[in-house]
Order: sequence, then C-alpha cells, then structure tokens
Amino acid sequence: MAEVEVLNISEGEVGFSDEIIKLGAEELLDCIQCAKCAAACPMVLAGFEFFNKRIIQSILIGQKEILLDDNSIWACQACNRCTEVCPRKVEPFAVVMAMRRSAIREFALPTLAIEGLKSLYDVGHAVYFANAGENRKKVGLPEKPPTTANNPQALKELRILMNKSVLSSLGIIPMDAGLSDVTCCEV
Amino acid sequence: MKVGFFVGCNTAFNRPDLEKAFRFVMNALGVEIDDLDGQSCCPSWGTMPSVDEAGWYALGARNFIISEEKNVDMVTVCGSCYGSLSETKYNLDKRAELREKVNEMLKAIGKEYKGSTKIRLATNFFYNEIGIEKIKNALKYTLEGVTIGVQPGCHSLWPSEVYSEGEKDPFHPVMLRELCEALGASAPYYSRILDCCGMGGMRSTNVEASYKLVKTKLDSMKEEIKADLLVTGCSSCLIQFDTAQAPMRKDKKIDYEIPSIHYVQLLALCLGADPQQVVGLSTTDLSGILGKLKKIN
Repeated sequence: MAEVEVLNISEGEVGFSDEIIKLGAEELLDCIQCAKCAAACPMVLAGFEFFNKRIIQSILIGQKEILLDDNSIWACQACNRCTEVCPRKVEPFAVVMAMRRSAIREFALPTLAIEGLKSLYDVGHAVYFANAGENRKKVGLPEKPPTTANNPQALKELRILMNKSVLSSLGIIPMDAGLSDVTCCEV
Repeated sequence: MKVGFFVGCNTAFNRPDLEKAFRFVMNALGVEIDDLDGQSCCPSWGTMPSVDEAGWYALGARNFIISEEKNVDMVTVCGSCYGSLSETKYNLDKRAELREKVNEMLKAIGKEYKGSTKIRLATNFFYNEIGIEKIKNALKYTLEGVTIGVQPGCHSLWPSEVYSEGEKDPFHPVMLRELCEALGASAPYYSRILDCCGMGGMRSTNVEASYKLVKTKLDSMKEEIKADLLVTGCSSCLIQFDTAQAPMRKDKKIDYEIPSIHYVQLLALCLGADPQQVVGLSTTDLSGILGKLKKIN
C-alpha cells in the first residue's frame, strides 16, 4: 500500500488565501471543490500532481510551501476549460495565475520563465531567435519583422511600461533603472 | 478592407513560412494588411501575466493602441496571442478601475487605451468576414479525397465570454471543419477533437508529459478517421504537432506520422502559393499532400 502523507493543516500559512485573492483570484473562496475543473484539465490528462482543483485546495488550507516546491503551476496551458465549466465562477485559471504571481515574489520560478521575461525586456518578444533572418529571407520575407525587435523607439516604450510594473521591484531580471523615472511623454 | 497583422513571436521568428502564407492569403482575398509597426509580444502567459495583472494589460494595451492609431482591427494566426490580447481587451473594457490604472502607466509613453479595436483569430476572420463561398470561388486548387483531422486549439474556444467571435457551442467546434471542407477535403469529427496539444507552459515544464497529449490526440485521429493531414488554427499547436512527431517516433511512442499544417498555410496552397515559401519550414513530410492538390480548370 502506498504511504499516506498526512498534513498538519494547523501549520498552514495564515493569510495565504488573502494573498492569492489580492494577486487576482477574487472568487477563490467560492470554490466548493466539485472537481469539474479537474475533469476538463489537460494537466490531469498529462499526469501532473497539482492541477486547478488541487492547487485551489492547497491554497485554501495554507500549503504554500508544497506549491512552491512543485513546478506544476508552470505547466498550466492557460486553456481556460476550467473557467468555462466552473459552476461557481471561481475562474480556476485566475487562481493558477495568482499562484504563479505569488511564487515569483518568492523567486520560485523556472529558468525558462526568467529567460522569457528577460527576452521580453531585451527585444520585446518572449520567443526570439536571433538567427531567424535567414529563414525569413528563405521564404521571401524581409529579414526583420516590423516589431520592437527592429524598432528602438517602440522597444523603449515597452521597457518603460515594464519598469512601471511590479516586475521592476522584484529583481528577477536586469532592468535599465534610468527608465523608471519617466513620468509623462518623455519617450 | 484593411486589417492589422499581429504576427506574434513564434510566427515571426520560428515559422516565418506561416507569416508568408498569411500575407499571401490576405493579398489573394483582397484584404490589405497594415504591419502595426512597433508591435511586441502579446505578452505570452509565462511572462507578464504571471507577474502582475496591470503589467500584463499595459503591454497588451500598447499593442491595441498601435491598431487604434491605424484604425484597424488586429488579426493573428496564433491562439496564444489571441487569448492573451482578448483577455486584455475584455478586462480593460469591463473594469474601469483597472483601465484607469493601466492608462496611468501608459501616460509615461504619452498613450491612452481607448478600446476602439478588436483582436481576431485568422480562422474566425475567414469564416465570418470573408465567408465560405468567397473562399471557394477564389480557389485555384482543391484537396479532394484528403481526410483532415482538425485541431481548433484551446484559445479559439475558451473562455468563450472573452472572445468577440467564436463557436456557437465551444465544446462542439465546427468552423475549422467547415473551412477545411470548403477546400474540397473531408474533416470529420473524432473523439479527441477538443484535446489540448500540450505546447506552451506544459512543454516547457515537462516535455514527456506534453507528448502524452500529442499521442492521445494523434492516435484518436489515426484510428477513428484515418487522417491524412492535421490542420490547426493556431501557430503554437502547429509547432507542437510539426516538431513532436520525429522524437516520438524515435522513442517508439508512435509508429506513424501525420503531416501537420496551419489552416492559413493550407489555404495559401489552395490559392496557388509557392510551397517553398508557405510550408518550406515544415518538419513533417507534406509531399504526399502537395501531390494531392488538384488544379481547377
């Protein structure tokens, strides 16, 4: 028989639910653990240990450490089947995203997520291949697409917005401090 | 008619043949494209949406503002971009306090989000704006005798409330099937039609787990309808099905290949595009399908 793990829920982190609600999961407490979200979730089909229903349950009993130690929240596909089927309008996807926001504030995020954020700040694209120009030319396109990657003014705008966001206070990626003081129209 | 082309990261840098296909199709159908110069990542789910709501919507709003300044709706071939930007618009249009906060951030770059334009998914645009009849009349080649397994993609379906246009019933999608049938192919129902491709966060977190979803889907398509071709409405699904099959065959997880293509690429081929330009970066073998394109006299 598999070993049963017993949690002492009196040791759960008090205030964890409130933190998650503030980070964007406003309907968290309406969850009745009916598992309709789990029945629809691709993460269940793929065999992840923590998926929408179990993530919500862990939050409700204050098990923050367990969720920080597991990378399941980063495997969410943002497919929103759960949001569509939830009979209580909890928006389980919003809970998963709020949990990611909580994890990021504890520096518990995968390397790929850090790289994606860095790439977004550096060129304006989470996915970017510096050598894509060759393939672009091969299919008859200009080497450079008309995006922030080739438009310094647009990239500066994007960076100013990222500097204005919470990201700038988290120290996850290097950011240009000089852009933080821009107040209006100084682009 | 004019639209803004929201190209997205994966299409511009990973599958520019899909970008070429979109430009070819729009030109062939008489739709003018604005490049929305200065656009950025939507932003994708693993970046700003995972950090902070206001930061997410501020970056999304900057993309919308470019289309507002050009007075065009945006069209994308990427489900992830469609999803992230649809959520941005839905929340900014509905939540006044949030819009105020985001517009306060946007002041720093001298801009304001007004909400006057939409984001549309290419397949929805073809179905609702161009229409099946006009597509049929424009064809130079048809695909008779080809059986297609369609992959609409999660972000064309749910959450239905945030999308400006979509299926009557998001659990029984018909639009992509009808769009494929317009090309002369058959596109029957199969039991895993709704299943997720496993790309995105799941593939980045655990590639083997994501291949389980690929296998379940492909097996269903193969056994139930004997699909000759997989057609997606989303560039992320395209990349997953086009690149996952070779390593899965090598590991003996599957013993077949279903060539995989985006609907925009298939439509480009049927409108007479050069295959080297519109499917030239495919990993799966499309030669069998290309051989079945039949010229209309």
